[in-house]
Parts: sequence; C-alpha cells; structure tokens
Amino acid sequence: MGVFKLKKGHDILLQGAAERRVEKAPKATSIAVQPIDFRGLRPGMKVEAGDTVKRGSVLFVDKQRPEIIFRSPAAGTVREVVRGDRRAIQRVIIDVTADEAESFDSYSKTQISSLTSEEAKKLLLNSGLWPALRQRPFSKIANPEKSPKAIFISAVDTAPLQAETDLLLGDRTQDFQTGIDFLKKLTAGKIHLSTSSKTESWFKDVTGVEKHLFHGPHPAGNVGVQIHHIDRLLAGEIIWYISPRHVAQIGSFLSAGAYPGKKIVALTGSELINRNYVEASDGAAIKDLVTTPLDNARQRVISGNVLTGRKARSTGYVGFYDDMITVIPEVQGRRMFGWLQLGLNANSFWRLFLSKLTPGKKLAPNTDMNGEERAFVSTGEYEKLLPMDVLPVHLCKAILVEDIELMEKLGIYEVSPEDVALCSYICPSKIEFGAIIEKGIQTMEKEG
Amino acid sequence: MKFLENFLNDMDVKIKKGPLKIIHPMFGAINTMLFTPGHGTTIGPHIRDSIDMKRFMGIVIFALIPSILVGSYNVGHMAGVEGLFSAFMFGFLKLLPIIIVTYAVGLSWEMIFGHLRGHDIHEGFLVTGILLPLTLPPTIPLWQVAVAVSFGTVIGKEVFGGTGMNLLNPALTARAFLFFTYPGDISGDAVWVAVDGFTGATPLAAAAASTGPAVDALNHAGFSLSQMFFGFIPGSVGETSTIAILIGAVILLVTGVGSWRIMLATLIGAYGMALIVQFFSGDVVGGMRSLPPHYHLVMGGFMFGLVFMTTDPVSAAGTNAGKWVYGILIGVMVILIRTFNPAYPEGMMLAILFGNVFSPLIDHFVVQGNIKRRLNYGK
Repeated sequence: MGVFKLKKGHDILLQGAAERRVEKAPKATSIAVQPIDFRGLRPGMKVEAGDTVKRGSVLFVDKQRPEIIFRSPAAGTVREVVRGDRRAIQRVIIDVTADEAESFDSYSKTQISSLTSEEAKKLLLNSGLWPALRQRPFSKIANPEKSPKAIFISAVDTAPLQAETDLLLGDRTQDFQTGIDFLKKLTAGKIHLSTSSKTESWFKDVTGVEKHLFHGPHPAGNVGVQIHHIDRLLAGEIIWYISPRHVAQIGSFLSAGAYPGKKIVALTGSELINRNYVEASDGAAIKDLVTTPLDNARQRVISGNVLTGRKARSTGYVGFYDDMITVIPEVQGRRMFGWLQLGLNANSFWRLFLSKLTPGKKLAPNTDMNGEERAFVSTGEYEKLLPMDVLPVHLCKAILVEDIELMEKLGIYEVSPEDVALCSYICPSKIEFGAIIEKGIQTMEKEG
Repeated sequence: MKFLENFLNDMDVKIKKGPLKIIHPMFGAINTMLFTPGHGTTIGPHIRDSIDMKRFMGIVIFALIPSILVGSYNVGHMAGVEGLFSAFMFGFLKLLPIIIVTYAVGLSWEMIFGHLRGHDIHEGFLVTGILLPLTLPPTIPLWQVAVAVSFGTVIGKEVFGGTGMNLLNPALTARAFLFFTYPGDISGDAVWVAVDGFTGATPLAAAAASTGPAVDALNHAGFSLSQMFFGFIPGSVGETSTIAILIGAVILLVTGVGSWRIMLATLIGAYGMALIVQFFSGDVVGGMRSLPPHYHLVMGGFMFGLVFMTTDPVSAAGTNAGKWVYGILIGVMVILIRTFNPAYPEGMMLAILFGNVFSPLIDHFVVQGNIKRRLNYGK
C-alpha cells in the first residue's frame, strides 16, 4: 500500500454540490447509447429505427474489432439513429417500454475463480461491458488482443462537484468484490485501487487489490496521475483502467446473469434547484432526471464535470463513463471593463482578484471564456497544476510543431486531455491544452 | 451602456468588412478593453479563470505607477523645480510626449502586423510602450524614440513572429538600438538633467571615473546611499528610485505576475559576483571595482531591469530550473560589465539582452534533463 501526498494541482470550489441523498428517478422515457462517448470508435449498427430491443440486446459493434459489442441498457423501441458531421453516428435513442431482459449465464464465486484468462476475456466481451475497460496510452476502449501490465481503479473524487464514490456504489460491496475477482483473470499484473481519505472506508474489506491512498488537490483523482506515481507507463507498455462503478456492474452482470443497465447519477451545478443523487438508467435522458426546467440559452448542461465533461444540451443524455450532470449558467453577453474588475466573485487560480482573500468561498461562474486567445506568454504556472514529471508547455509545443520523437520523450503516452484541463482553465492566453494533447495523441496513434 | 455595447458590436462588423479593415486590430483592442468579448466556452473546461492578458499586463502597468510618479518628480527636482507638485508636473510633461510617441509609433506597427496576421493588438505592447520611456533620459529627442520603437517592435519582435515568439525583450532592444546608434543622446553627462546646457553625471559614471575610493567620489558628488535608494539622482526616468521600483516588485510578486525565482536569482548573481570582485580587488583604489557590493543594487538601471525587464516571461527562461540559471547569469554579467568594461559604466541592459539570448539554450538543457530523468525511470 502506498500513500501519495500530491502538492501540485488546484481545487476549484463551486456552488451546487449534490446533497448526499439517493432518490429513485421518475420512470425513464428514453435512453441513448452514444458512440461519441468512446474515443475513436466507428460503430457498425446492428439495429435500425423501429426495431424492438430488450435490455441486453446488441445495438452496435466496433467496426475495427467486431468482438467488442455494445448492448442496450433498457428495453424499448429504437426511435432514431442520430448522425452528425459526415454521417458519423452520434447516438442511438431508444424509447423505453416495460423492462424485459436478455438472459445470460450467471457465475458463482468458485466458477469465476476457475475461469481461464481467455474464457474471462470472451465472457466480458460478450457481456457488452468490455467498453468499460479503457487503456493508456490513448484513453480508448482496451484492445482485447493485448494484455496489460496492470489494471488501475481510481476511487478518488477530486474534480469540481465530483459525485462521491460511496454513494455511486451504495451497498454493492459484494458486486464490487465479484468484479475484482473477475478482473484478476484479465491481467498477470496487479490491480491497483486508489482511494482517498473520504472513500477509503468503503473499500476496507475489498481483497485481491493493491490499495493506495491519494491526498491532494485535483487532478490527484485522475487515473493518469495515479499511474504515474504507482507504476509509470514505459515505452511499449499498456495499462487498463476502469471506474469503480463499472467494476460493480461487471460483478452484478456475473452474479445476476443479466445486463445491469442502472447507475447512480449525481445532479450538480449552481443552476439546479434540486440537487441530489438519482438511480437512473445507463444513458438516461437528462430531462428525465432533472426537475428544474432547463433553457439552453441560459444554462450549460454538461454530462460529467465542468472540467472534462461534454456539452450535452437539455435534450441530451448521460454519457457512458459519466456519473454526474452539471448545470451551470451560460455566459450572458459582454461585461463592461471586465479586466478592471476588483473581482470579489471572480473565480481564479491567480492572485489578481480580491476573491483570493476569501479562499474558502464557493463561486458560481458561468461559461465565459473571460478573454480571447493570445500568444503563449505566461510561464511557470502550468507546471504547478500537473502532479507528474511532465512539462505540459514543452509537450504542447512539441505537439504543435509535430516533433513525434520529442513528444514521445516528453511523455505524450502518459497524459490525457483530462490531465491538463486545469492548464486550460488557468491560461491567461486561453490556450486549449486539452485539444492540443488530443491532437498529439491522434498523431501518435497514426504514426505508432 | 447597452447603447455603447450595441454601437461597438455594430462598428466591429462594419470595420471588419469595410475599407477601414486595417484599423480593425486597433478597434478590436479598444472594443474588448471597454467590454469583455463575451464568448462562451466551446469545449471543456466549461468554466475558465477570470484572468486574461489584459488583466495580466494591466498589473505590470499598475506596478510601474510608483516609478512613473517618483521618476517624474525627480526629473523636475533635478532640473531645480521647486515644490512637490510643480516638480512632478515638470517631469511628467517631459515624460508624457515620450510615452505618446512610443505608443503611437509602436501601436501603428502592431496594427499593421495584426492586420497582416489577422489578430488583435496584443496587450504586451501596452507594457513595452511604458517600459521603454522609463529607461530613457528625459531629454531624448522624440524622433529618436520613434525610430527606436520601430526597431524594437519590428526587428525585436515582429520578425520573429510577433508577441510570444520574440527572443529579446522589445523595450530593451529599442533602448540598445538608441544606445549604439545615438550614444550622445542616451549616455554621457549632458542628457540626464532636463535643462539645456546643464550637465550632471550619473552616480555610475561618477563612481567609474573616481580615482580614489568610489564611495568617497559618490559622496563628494552628493550621492549618498539613501539618495540613490529614494531616487533623487540623475538617470533614466524610471530607474532612479529604488524604493518606487521595489513597491512595483511587491505588486508583481504578490500577484505572481513576476517570477520570484528570476528576481531572487538575479539579485544573488549580482551580489555574489560583486562580493567576488571586491574580494579580488582589495588593492584597487579607484573606479567601479572599489565599490562595495550593496551600492550596485541601488545604482543605475539594476533594480529596474531586475524587476521589470528580466521577468518578461517571453524573453526569459521558461522552465523553473532555467529561471535560476538565467537570473544568476544576468546578475553575474551586469557586475562583470560594470567593473571590468572600460567603455560602459552601466551593464544591466546588455546583461539582460545577453540573458535573453541564452534563455532558449538554458531551457533546452532543462528539457533535456527532464527527458533524461524520464528515460532513466524504472532502470
């Protein structure tokens, strides 16, 4: 067990945390499974509008690796296959009807322990839960043909308004343990479970994992940061990672013999009136969960957290990997002399506004860029926000000049856009670090 | 104010599309200075820090205010003007035309390049445009200022690709240009006091010319340590008052806009080098080498350069380890030039430009160090 005290990083204190109270969501009217949730996925459709599906029916597969399948989390009728730019499939929307589930074999503890790694792999691929496993480098669905040196699970919530792991998991310790027992079949290496002082107790009886304790501000909860400190990714290596909630879902699939299809979602953000946790379908429609009336012109609806979540609109759906919805105010036009403000309520990492004098104060910022893009000028601050031995500015510069060798040397394989989100957040020149890292990762995928 | 906002939005479209589009970079800068751009985030992070370049650069200008005030007063004071306010106004009216010419010429260049490259005027020039006048003598001919600003902006910055890409500090490039092309108007004894025909050597020149102990020569010329600290001595407008500069330094350090590493490293480099020079110059009786180390800190452009010029984030080293090397290098160089160079009593400008030239190399070695450390991980 390792204890890691990270100093670098920054916690953005926001209004609008969810109350620690789990409610049942009103009946779902529609759900969606969204290929855009999965980095680089090109889906091959198995259903079309009008088809009837059960919970657990196959909706689409990965065209490049057809053994990776995606199942429906609810029963109903396919309403629409929504396409975006260049006809890329964005989401499959299903109108929910009475629950009816495909049945699968269930497995006891001893059956799981006697599985070979090939059997376990096939079983997970067939379950439709394989996409829950992602890999580094590249932050995409794990490649089943490779085997990872270790599997990482982060149960550390450091992102702004982050849903709390113990509430997301509820009383499903048994499912979680079953999931861990099963995952051990997939790697010859260790399973690393990182917790924080807040989440440590929930996992106290879990066995079969190497436990770690992480202290420190965001992004200490990011799995990439934890990998860097626990067992750094070296050239040519692969690690897999998965969220605690997905581990429990795998456990539930194995013991119940049915596609799980439910998860807990935290409703957060200063613009929501009722903020709590709800039990919802995977891929639930946001308007089924949120009781506050939403207006896209006045509010930004995000699936995920404010740093790395996706703009979802009020008619959108909760993403596959997301456990929370955040609703914040949308920017309302121009402000006079914005750069001269005293800034009593200005959210900022810098010591340039009076709000720095009230450090514990929670703010409710809107989506204002607060400036325009400029040349890279400031130095020395970005490094304070990435608790890794990686130089974010120099890495980004290497990406911009497309120096592949230098990118590799400076650590492109170790970072993901989410790890540099705070760099984009604090940047006075409004440089999009995440987009640059994404570009670098795409270059490496093409070249490597 | 809605009326003004709508008017600006309207004008923005008209200027961008119309025959006056060359002034759009300038209009854009004024437009966003009056009202924030108001753009929302398109990708995550969905919220952004309240800081922008205007705020960032605005803090530097704010930090320069004490130097402007005391420097202006001192120009009047040196010229023999009586009374606090009269002396200040006298000096300020000498300084103002220099600032106006700097801004007018510099912003015109910025506008042309902004138009060619399709971006607004960058806020960095607002700082350059105030830094340069403060490093000049109050008697500088305005046409020279115009030529120098053109050189500093075009050759010092724009040919490298504009703000953020320049190797050298544009304000110092402009000053160095004047220093080498028109030395008679920026050095010597005749330029520091804004009264025709009146000469007065700067403390540095007095110390350099001394044949006995430099401190005696300074005292004889009427420059006590406290006078030099408070800034009632001949010199470039902004550089004379150490106390005013230090107030600015506090602002830069508290806000984090200026790098404490660079400031501290430069101070250590200079003081350390001055101690070494003093140690090996025990038998030297006159000139700069007989000057005690702490005198260097309050004389000439040292403190102004340390606080406002070395910390220019674009031309300084960008890595934290590199900042230490960069600062120490500048500190050592300034003392070497001051004590061993027979031609120039002042060395800060050249030392900083020297540091600027080396900063990419310094950063290169720091990055290589990171690469090496990363490669060795797990071995």
